[in-house]
Amino acid sequence: MLSHFIFLGLFYTVLAIICVTVAAAFVRAFEDFRARRAEAVCWEATFPDLPARDRVCRHEFTGEFKHRTCDRAFDCRECQQHAALVARRPAEAGPAPERYYHRGHTWVQPEPDGTVTVGLDPLGESLAAGPEALELPEAGARVQLNGPGWYARKRGVRLRILAPLDGEVVATGGADQGWYLKLKPLDGRFEMRHLLRGAEVQPWMAREMERLHGALAPAGQAATMADGGMPVADIAAAISREDWEALCGDIFLLP
Amino acid sequence: MDSQLMPRGVRRCSLPQFLLWIVPWCALLVFGLYGAGLCLVKGLNQTNMDNRFAFGLWIFLDLTVIALGAGAFFTGFLLYILKKKELKAVINSAVVIGFICYSGAVAALLVDVGQPLRFWFTFWHPNVHSMLTEVTFCITCYLTVLFIEYVPIVLKNRKLRQIPSFLVFEFELHKLMPVLAGVGTFLSFFHQGSLGGLYGVLRGRPFAFRDGFAIWPSTFFLFILSAAAAGPCFILLTTWAVSKISGRQLVRPGVLPLLGRISGILLVPYILLKSVDTLVWIDHTAPARGFAAHQFYAWKPFGEWMLFAEILIFGLLPALILLGRRFRERTGLLIPAAVLVCLGIAMNRFVLTVQTLALPTLPFDGFMTYLPSWQETATFLAVVAYGVLLYSLSFRYLVLFPQEKDLPQPRPAHERERAILEPVC
Repeated sequence: MLSHFIFLGLFYTVLAIICVTVAAAFVRAFEDFRARRAEAVCWEATFPDLPARDRVCRHEFTGEFKHRTCDRAFDCRECQQHAALVARRPAEAGPAPERYYHRGHTWVQPEPDGTVTVGLDPLGESLAAGPEALELPEAGARVQLNGPGWYARKRGVRLRILAPLDGEVVATGGADQGWYLKLKPLDGRFEMRHLLRGAEVQPWMAREMERLHGALAPAGQAATMADGGMPVADIAAAISREDWEALCGDIFLLP
Repeated sequence: MDSQLMPRGVRRCSLPQFLLWIVPWCALLVFGLYGAGLCLVKGLNQTNMDNRFAFGLWIFLDLTVIALGAGAFFTGFLLYILKKKELKAVINSAVVIGFICYSGAVAALLVDVGQPLRFWFTFWHPNVHSMLTEVTFCITCYLTVLFIEYVPIVLKNRKLRQIPSFLVFEFELHKLMPVLAGVGTFLSFFHQGSLGGLYGVLRGRPFAFRDGFAIWPSTFFLFILSAAAAGPCFILLTTWAVSKISGRQLVRPGVLPLLGRISGILLVPYILLKSVDTLVWIDHTAPARGFAAHQFYAWKPFGEWMLFAEILIFGLLPALILLGRRFRERTGLLIPAAVLVCLGIAMNRFVLTVQTLALPTLPFDGFMTYLPSWQETATFLAVVAYGVLLYSLSFRYLVLFPQEKDLPQPRPAHERERAILEPVC
């Protein structure tokens, strides 16, 4: 009789472990939504699925690392490696940068009233220019860092533009105004440590252009960029739909 | 047309091409379901099995696919418990293969056992003296685990992941995956073993009966080891075959040799133990039951060649290839070695299922022959078709090989570089 209890007890314990595991996942997911962590969790779930070339550490751009993949989902605020490398750099003279850049191709411009203006950089603009539809958040809505900032539909592809900061939307613009969102901070001031600035921007943008070109190079041929240039005004019209989808994924960090 | 459902950054064949691929398999599945339906409605008289030849093609299929599907638990164990990160490249594919193998085996068992509406009897009135009860419990639990492991892969589909609650649930479930990997390993260990033990305890079948350790006959341990050795090889083979069929590079060059090496490392002790077990059986177990081992091989076509082929050609030879670094890094040797391992496992399960039952054990018994009926064969083929279809759909619409989009892929020759830059001045 004892052996029966051991045998059956063992397997019903296993069954209980399976059920508890699934229930725990449900409860934790519910907690994420309740604590407004869902967007951060979505980005955390998305980040490892991006191609390795999209996940390089910002310190590769400045030559501080030869190869390094970011393991913090582009949130440098808590990254000790980033803090150590920045501390090693000589203090930057002059005024604070006019614009900061997010890896999802948005820029952030601090305004004197404590708000920030958010727009698309030239590469982002050339991809998302003249959208078929634009879905901007309403004033008063909250956006979360690396959560969806706004959406643009272009050539049948819904582009999700990542929010570069946590904040509350105070106004919305559009492509014709040169900016898309005005945000005010949620708790006093904006934290900008995770955004690219100064000497990081130019090599990052050059690399992005190189990626853009490489993504479209034909089979067995290295990407070439003979003498530089600016992206054409509307890249979507110049390439096939398949390439367009892949390109948007690469540039706007879509999973 | 369905490109919005495919993973971003990977290319798949056109929808008409894909339909052309799946239509024959769908036809085979329908044909097989018809055969299975006949067996369920009219009974096992539709098969060529009888009270004496009670295990046939279906049990052979079950044992083989369960062994080949062991790659799921073993890869999960290596990745989540032993932290062998390189195997992340194939874990999704391994889970899908495992799910296909186990669900296919359960479906075949439902037809074989019959009365599927009474499936719950085995849980409510378990015969705790039967190894099959343990097998039933373990396989059911493990299929549930595989289903739960399959869910996050499905939820990461490009369309489904746009629903935040799905993605958040997937993320939280994925964090708990080591628990499921541990449970899967525990369950697999016991049901693989019990499937082997099932034959080892057949005292009335001296060809299969084995001595062992405590309550477990040696076949218990041999089944666990052989399944763990064959599982990675089957993943290796499917990855290679899918890569060839799709024309895509799916994993980095070192991944397939690594799977081969894992398989080789496990195959060597298996072959060693199998050889020792065979010698003990020849020298001690079979004579103790009143048989000389050579008597079992007097019935053609089941001659001694089967024993030698199983141990040497399908065991030792691939083990040596997979263990030798220079050998396994050559695809021309790695793939045939993996094929041999998988064939060897199938042969081992065939011997224990069909040869065991075919051999006479009593003086008035004769050598029995068995040829599956078309209904049995159709059901077998339905499981194969189901596997191909589910894997094809998963490969097309889910991320089975995360490294694929990071690897250089051939682009169609007709595509040419387009002007995306314009001069500054």
